[in-house]
Amino acid sequence: MRNRGLLTRAVLAVVGAAVAVVALFPLLWVVIAGFKGKTEVLATPFKFFPKQWLVENYTDILGDPLFRKTMLVTFGGAILFAVLALFVNASAAYVFARLEFRFKRILWVYVIMTMFIPGMAILLTSFIVVNKLGMLDTLAVLVLPGVASAGSMFFIRQFYLNIPLALEEAALIDGAGRFRIFTGIFVPMSFPVFVIVGIGAYLGYWNSFVWPTMTITNPNLFQIMQYLYNFRSERSSEMGMLMAGSALAAAPTLVLFLVFQKYIISGIKISGLK
Amino acid sequence: MFKKNFRQDNATAYTMLLPILVLLTVFVVIPFVYAIRVSFYNWSFYQDSTFVGFRNFYLVLTDRLFGKSVWIGIKFALMVVPTTLILAFLFANVVKNISPKLSGFVKTSIYIPTIISGIVASVIFVFIYDYTGGLANYVLGLFGQEPKAWLAEVGSALPSIAAPAVWLGFGLTALIMLAGLHDIPESYYEAADLEGAGAFQKMWYITIPLMRNVILYLLVTGFTAQISQYELSLVMTNGGPLNETTTPNLYIFLHFRNDVMVGNSIAASLLLFVVLGGISAIIFRVLNSEKAVDG
Repeated sequence: MRNRGLLTRAVLAVVGAAVAVVALFPLLWVVIAGFKGKTEVLATPFKFFPKQWLVENYTDILGDPLFRKTMLVTFGGAILFAVLALFVNASAAYVFARLEFRFKRILWVYVIMTMFIPGMAILLTSFIVVNKLGMLDTLAVLVLPGVASAGSMFFIRQFYLNIPLALEEAALIDGAGRFRIFTGIFVPMSFPVFVIVGIGAYLGYWNSFVWPTMTITNPNLFQIMQYLYNFRSERSSEMGMLMAGSALAAAPTLVLFLVFQKYIISGIKISGLK
Repeated sequence: MFKKNFRQDNATAYTMLLPILVLLTVFVVIPFVYAIRVSFYNWSFYQDSTFVGFRNFYLVLTDRLFGKSVWIGIKFALMVVPTTLILAFLFANVVKNISPKLSGFVKTSIYIPTIISGIVASVIFVFIYDYTGGLANYVLGLFGQEPKAWLAEVGSALPSIAAPAVWLGFGLTALIMLAGLHDIPESYYEAADLEGAGAFQKMWYITIPLMRNVILYLLVTGFTAQISQYELSLVMTNGGPLNETTTPNLYIFLHFRNDVMVGNSIAASLLLFVVLGGISAIIFRVLNSEKAVDG
């Protein structure tokens, strides 16, 4: 129906592609700067490509046992975090979407209320709490505090509200328990919403910086953003390595995103306005 | 709403709610109540605390630096949010009209910065702004301009931090806009075509009015998110020069790190909570009332 000229279409395509390249540019630059020599990263005049492609920065940083360990520990923590977040928030979402019980309204308000407490308001007192619980310098302090999230719970609940009641009625009549219905009917149907919430949780953990720097001093539990930040202040002359490290730190996230991009981008539609 | 559920399921419900309730109580509610308490005390890590009433709030509200940080936060949000929204809106209109194959690639590319951490983004942009070898000054040089100390000059520091914030937020905003554009029925545009409306008229009379809610939502959430931003300035400038990039949250964070007395900073963060938490609670109510069903 739209009689758009071929020229307009071509122009739009070029603009679209150009913006995509601009958006990717800083990231491409880091990856490529990782192949530059020590003094070349900030050499004048500015050059995008290295004179000679060196792999030393990448092999050096991968050769640093602390870097490898940090990547692994952060990755493991992020996966654990995402799995726990799905378990905790999805079961609550199911309960609020389908079950009737006493004090439902009060508990709902109690949970939702936490969504409006900004992190900064409780940053210091959370630190005091985990300190009193003896959790400093443990994996638990990195993982547990952020697992429960009213926002994720709410998001999953919206999805569950749209699952037709008819699906579970047969199971209820057959005498299946509510928990069985959750694990047997709801969880298997949750894949698209789990991908979105799970990746969101994974990203939040992987990218977190302030909380680990406050609670972790043991190098065995360093988190990747903390490592990069320390690297930048302690070894500021090793710019190529910093670039390589930053590129590698973004890599697992990028792979995960590219694998699940279909769900993530359509998830923006599921969430409608939100 | 729950007519089909003829029996109550107290035991199952409480068991399945237990994890979220315990975790939220320990790691959110208790710290929050504790924060409220501390804000009324002359509290520090090293000595007994004494009750001081509203003194902390008084000190914060009369601290010139806090006032300045709020102003900086507002300026920062005013730089980032309208820029992101306008670019994203224009761009979403472009993406909607290009071939599906190309738009898939474009959508993925613009979304990628969204998953990059503030720390990595800061590292990248510090290099881009480098005085001698950075890209920004190279581009200035192409136009025959003198190089600039982007992050060290009072005038350019805040805009220089706004740029990576736009970069990080652009993708998601554009994709939400795009989802909104796809929700506008194509027949409206066809009718306008028959009436002989031009591209600009269609945008002004159809697209923008129908996108009002999406735009409003992005505006408000963008504003609260950007005014809370502090990682970028923490890494790129540490709040300088002359506190020109000290956003409210960075002000609070730097006080946590450097002061013995923390009552003030906690009072400051609670004041911020009242404003920002209030705004997001209102948005939530509005959206939840209209959108809960098809949400």
